[in-house]
Amino acid sequence: MAHAISTRSLTKRFGRREVLHGVDFMVETGSIFGMIGPNGAGKTTTMRCLLDIIRPTDGEVRVLGKDPREGGPALRRRIGYLPGELFLEGRVTGRKLLAHYQAISGPVAPGRIDGLAERLGLDLDRHTRKLSKGNKQKLGLIQAFMHDPELLVLDEPTSGLDPLVQQEFHAMMREAQHKGQTIFLSSHVLSEVQQTADTVAILRDGRIVAVESVSGLREGAVRRLRLTASAITAHDAGALLGSVPGVGHVEVLDSGDGGVTVAATLEGSIQPLVRMLGSLQLTDLVLDEPDLEESVLKMYSSPVGDAS
Amino acid sequence: MKTSLPLFRRAFFDSWRSTLGWGAGLAAAIFLYLPLYPSIGGSAQMQDMIDALPAEMTKALNYDQIATGPGYTQATLFGLLGFLLMTIASVSWGAAAVGGDEESGQLELTLAHGVTRTQVVLERALAVLLRVLLLAALVFILVRLLNDPAQLGIRPEYLFGAAVLFAGLALLSGTAALCVGAISGRRTYGLAAGAAVGVLGYVFNAVGRQSPDVEWLMNLSPYHWAYGNSPVSNGADWAAAGWLWSISAALVLLGTAVLNRRDVGA
Repeated sequence: MAHAISTRSLTKRFGRREVLHGVDFMVETGSIFGMIGPNGAGKTTTMRCLLDIIRPTDGEVRVLGKDPREGGPALRRRIGYLPGELFLEGRVTGRKLLAHYQAISGPVAPGRIDGLAERLGLDLDRHTRKLSKGNKQKLGLIQAFMHDPELLVLDEPTSGLDPLVQQEFHAMMREAQHKGQTIFLSSHVLSEVQQTADTVAILRDGRIVAVESVSGLREGAVRRLRLTASAITAHDAGALLGSVPGVGHVEVLDSGDGGVTVAATLEGSIQPLVRMLGSLQLTDLVLDEPDLEESVLKMYSSPVGDAS
Repeated sequence: MKTSLPLFRRAFFDSWRSTLGWGAGLAAAIFLYLPLYPSIGGSAQMQDMIDALPAEMTKALNYDQIATGPGYTQATLFGLLGFLLMTIASVSWGAAAVGGDEESGQLELTLAHGVTRTQVVLERALAVLLRVLLLAALVFILVRLLNDPAQLGIRPEYLFGAAVLFAGLALLSGTAALCVGAISGRRTYGLAAGAAVGVLGYVFNAVGRQSPDVEWLMNLSPYHWAYGNSPVSNGADWAAAGWLWSISAALVLLGTAVLNRRDVGA
């Protein structure tokens, strides 16, 4: 099976309000697929359709080769789900709550729950309603991961987690991927997704505006560049830089005895730039990490259907 | 680990504090009211006092029958305080079972697991049923224990019938709450529906007893179906018990059918 998830013209209306206007995407088996978009774009609605919590008005959904509506409990046992807003009330300990979810999901390996709790630093013997938001989130992650499902559907998984735990969670995702599990996660910020995901879909107002590999996004993204070179005039440095494809916004910051300092932006491949730099006598060079956030924000703000 | 009826077990065992609390309340009502019968219900003084009350009021409260032990038990415990406590308990459990769970956002996660919606409703309805039966059994046992000391003179088989009707009546309100909760996804709507069944049933009976002109109201009152012939004194109307229990079952099935067809948490 090539695709763990596929949707075709997935449409959802709540009364007269259409939330999803024909969403198409595919998630390859064994990949990590991130869906990003602002709040209200339809990420949660899409995920709930995959779990048969809400039913599409129109279109086709296939999860692990089955229609979620037909797949029933047997299909859902093969999925681990973390809802976007996790409510865990009641006077039960984390351990008892997990035992309950264990009884209604796929088989859990012995020691698996304690292992996950230890990794995330969660005390399972505390009452769930006394847990902080971050600790509740950990409990939610454990119940999603504990039965090593073929597919993980995680809605805003890192919300409430501190940076160290986020790192641990990223490691858990990579391990899951190594074991052949597929992960579909959502976020409203790219930075949470870009470290782990292979592919990113951008959802805006109930439509997919772009599906990009993270490496593709990186290539299309804008980097900031600053260099200092000696034995060259400011004018020549500017002209040389300006001749490199992808370079723009050239600006001379300083020119004096110490050399010329120039700032610019670079879009696309860095190879032509590197070749040009060889001809300069560089004393300093800074090439920033690509700002994917910025390129994604551009997609958000461009009109629908024009994702460039 | 495979356990049978996981949703039932969670609903039933996680609410043991609530079950215990309502049980204590019912026990308190029984120990407060019944031992007083020899000094109140049967005394001539009390009868004079009741005769002095407006006839409408006596009828509304079913106090026209409290001169006998079974009548006293029927009017004070099964017809009034016990009915009230049991109905509130059953309605609160019924409304929380599906509607409350959905409203608090927890149903979504449960349904994302390996369960069907039918299973969720049925197992939780079973948990409500079992808790109601436990309370009714407690009432049966305590009244049996007090029967001789309090000189009530209730026949055990009549008491049993009354307890079955008592449970059925509370269950009807509880399943109405569960059904409307499952249809609407709102705990409050479930509570309102359950309370409406209980309160209107009581009021229709009380008003219907006032005059032959409004007697037809009693036909609409589950309270009257159950208690119209005073089961503690005269034995249960088993047809009425059948109606109460079947309507409850139908309400659960209706809630299941609607929940199966709609979006959850939307």
